[in-house]
Amino acid sequence: MTSKPLIELRNVYRSFEVDGQHLPVLQDINLEIQPNEILCLVGESGCGKTTTGRIIAGLLPQSSGEVLVNGQPLSAYSRQQQAELRRSLQIVHQDPFASLNPAHTIGQILSYPLKRHRMVKGRAELRRRIWELLTLVDLTPPGDIVTKYPHQLSGGQRQRVSIARALTVNPKLIVADEAVSMVDVSIRIGLLKMLHRLREQLGLAIIFITHDLALAKYFAWEGRIAVMYLGRIVEIGPTPEVIAHPAHPYTRALLAAVPEADPEVTRHKQHLALRSEEIPRLSEIPQGCSFHPRCPFFLPGICDAKTPELLQPPNFIQLARCTPLNDQGTLIPYEPAQYR
Amino acid sequence: MGLDAVASPTGLVIGFVLGLIPLLVGWRYRQWKWGVIGWLVCLFSSFGCGLIGGLPVAVLATSLVISYAFATREDPYTSQASLDEVTFDETWQEYLLRQMAALGHGVRTSARMLARNKVGFIGFAGVMFFVLMSAFGPLFIEYEGEANFSRRQPGASSLFQPPSAEFPLGLDWQGRSVLSHIVYGGRTLILTSIQAGLIATVIAVALGSLAALLGGFVDQAISFLGNFVLTIPQFPLLLVLASLISFNSSLGLALLFAALNWPALMRAVRAQALSLRKRDYVEAAVALDLGLGHVIMREVFPNMVSYIAVNFIFSVRSAMYALVGLVVLGIVPLSEPDWGVMIFMGRQQGALFNPAAASMLLSPIIAIAVFQLSLVLFARSLEEIFNPRLRSGV
Ligand SMILES: Nc1ncnc2c1ncn2[C@@H]1O[C@H](COP(=O)(O)OP(=O)(O)O)[C@@H](O)[C@H]1O
Ligand SMILES: [Mg+2]
Repeated sequence: MTSKPLIELRNVYRSFEVDGQHLPVLQDINLEIQPNEILCLVGESGCGKTTTGRIIAGLLPQSSGEVLVNGQPLSAYSRQQQAELRRSLQIVHQDPFASLNPAHTIGQILSYPLKRHRMVKGRAELRRRIWELLTLVDLTPPGDIVTKYPHQLSGGQRQRVSIARALTVNPKLIVADEAVSMVDVSIRIGLLKMLHRLREQLGLAIIFITHDLALAKYFAWEGRIAVMYLGRIVEIGPTPEVIAHPAHPYTRALLAAVPEADPEVTRHKQHLALRSEEIPRLSEIPQGCSFHPRCPFFLPGICDAKTPELLQPPNFIQLARCTPLNDQGTLIPYEPAQYR
Repeated sequence: MGLDAVASPTGLVIGFVLGLIPLLVGWRYRQWKWGVIGWLVCLFSSFGCGLIGGLPVAVLATSLVISYAFATREDPYTSQASLDEVTFDETWQEYLLRQMAALGHGVRTSARMLARNKVGFIGFAGVMFFVLMSAFGPLFIEYEGEANFSRRQPGASSLFQPPSAEFPLGLDWQGRSVLSHIVYGGRTLILTSIQAGLIATVIAVALGSLAALLGGFVDQAISFLGNFVLTIPQFPLLLVLASLISFNSSLGLALLFAALNWPALMRAVRAQALSLRKRDYVEAAVALDLGLGHVIMREVFPNMVSYIAVNFIFSVRSAMYALVGLVVLGIVPLSEPDWGVMIFMGRQQGALFNPAAASMLLSPIIAIAVFQLSLVLFARSLEEIFNPRLRSGV
């Protein structure tokens, strides 16, 4: 983690106007992604993972805050550089049935970016490159695939085509938005292994978005995990640390709910009960720490008053957004009777 | 459009020469059967429509022959080989042949799709019937433009006659063969309607997709313009315009219809493009920086083609109705032969109250109705032909 970050988000805020109401979908997002790094964004559905991914890929402007690419905002670059930098950030969508145009064959889908950006010279080279890309994503024999239409492929195969399409422009970063959540479990591992291999082979950075902490743990073991809750990053740090010593109560709850391979372990795992199962709506985000109505370590007078900062708590390596933890280094279970 | 479809000896010569292309290619690749069929089709279509009809047919026929010749040939690109076993180098002749074979393959797929939908095929046959009748009918049936008083039946009060063996559709109020008017009277009407439909569709697709994809001010301006045109009561406007302008060119009329007709289709295209725009593959195209032109032409348009084709058919229909309506009301200058004029004149000449004139009045009405019905049925086939899912499917 020495080189200049590939991309950096500073105090990014994003809201959407729905029915005349401004919904704050992302708040205080601070992230930096180094070249060749793996970063996992984890959180319940609706917490803003996709929105973050789209802002990173340059597909959605932030409402306020800064997005720096190679240390500078995009606007500081020339038009041509902007286009090149944008192109170096690609996204792989969640739904393999919506991310490929049904009207084109796989060969055509891969040929458009190659031709448009003059990545190849001449027809023979174009065809060779398409074959190379398909081989790279383990779609073999390529001759069988090039003339197929997306609907003739399985979900896993389509996802590989999506990845190959992103690779046509030699990106530096790929945002994989729930890239495996819609394919069969039996195929997932293959896809994840392939992503790992591509990262090593091509020097890619990967932002892996998932709602499944078990998947994040597996995929990002050498990287970092950022846990999101209601539009904020509540904990971020090296994956082994976050998994072994979760800091934020929300991460602890998530981890406690992850089933282990060994049923004995799962059965005796200590369940961390949330005080409420209900996720607040974006239109009424709770005061103070937005997690406090559900938090088992709720500290009245503090958690519902002060919005916590993302800081490094004592004795932890990762950063967390929890006032009691940051102040005292420990958490005390909430006892309602005490205060009644 | 120079589509003055008349069968002519020149056309026959052109067809003979053009037909040699598929014939020779068929000879070269030992596809005799398809070479000869191609030659005949070229001959036929050039005979009917001259160079304009013959040239595309010659290209399609040739591609068809090549596609059959190539059916057994292995292209390394689609082979089972692995990456280090193949080379993709090819000469430009090979490239040309490959492209032609692909085109021919497309033609074959379309033909298969057309034959598959029975109802649509009936519509196609109906449309072809009228096209062929207008193109080749004049070869067999002479046009009767002059009044023919000698045909008056003894004791009859008018020249109208019901169908007979000599005059299959009877005689009109001037004793002329109704059949000859039916054969000659459809061409201008059909061509003008197609022109109008084509122009309206092009305008609608261009403006609709721009509005949807650019959004903002462009969208507002185009939508406003469309809504404005939509609120104009069209028929009264046509009435007023007709008194100001003389509609003597069919292109002028087509333009006028198109100018009034595009907003409805534009709104439909816009709505369709708006929904297509949100698809993930469009976002992927944006991330890959493929450009607005690519997004419109390659990502959005192909998924709307079947929809647009169907709407093109419908705008041809409505142009035809409007055209006939104007003629029947006597607003556009009447020039024979024309189905609309037949209805107008028949009514004026008392055909409504003369049983002997029933055939004269009904023939153009039935011709128009059958043509319209064929169009609607054909639209169904078009929908399937342009649907990539159905095309590539089993
Ligand atoms: N274009 C949009 N317009 C309005 N609301 C949106 C839009 N995109 C996302 N949202 C809202 O933002 C929130 C976060 O969405 P998203 O980033 O897709 O979450 P996730 O990917 O974590 O499930 C959701 O409540 C969603 O309804
Ligand atoms: Mg999402």
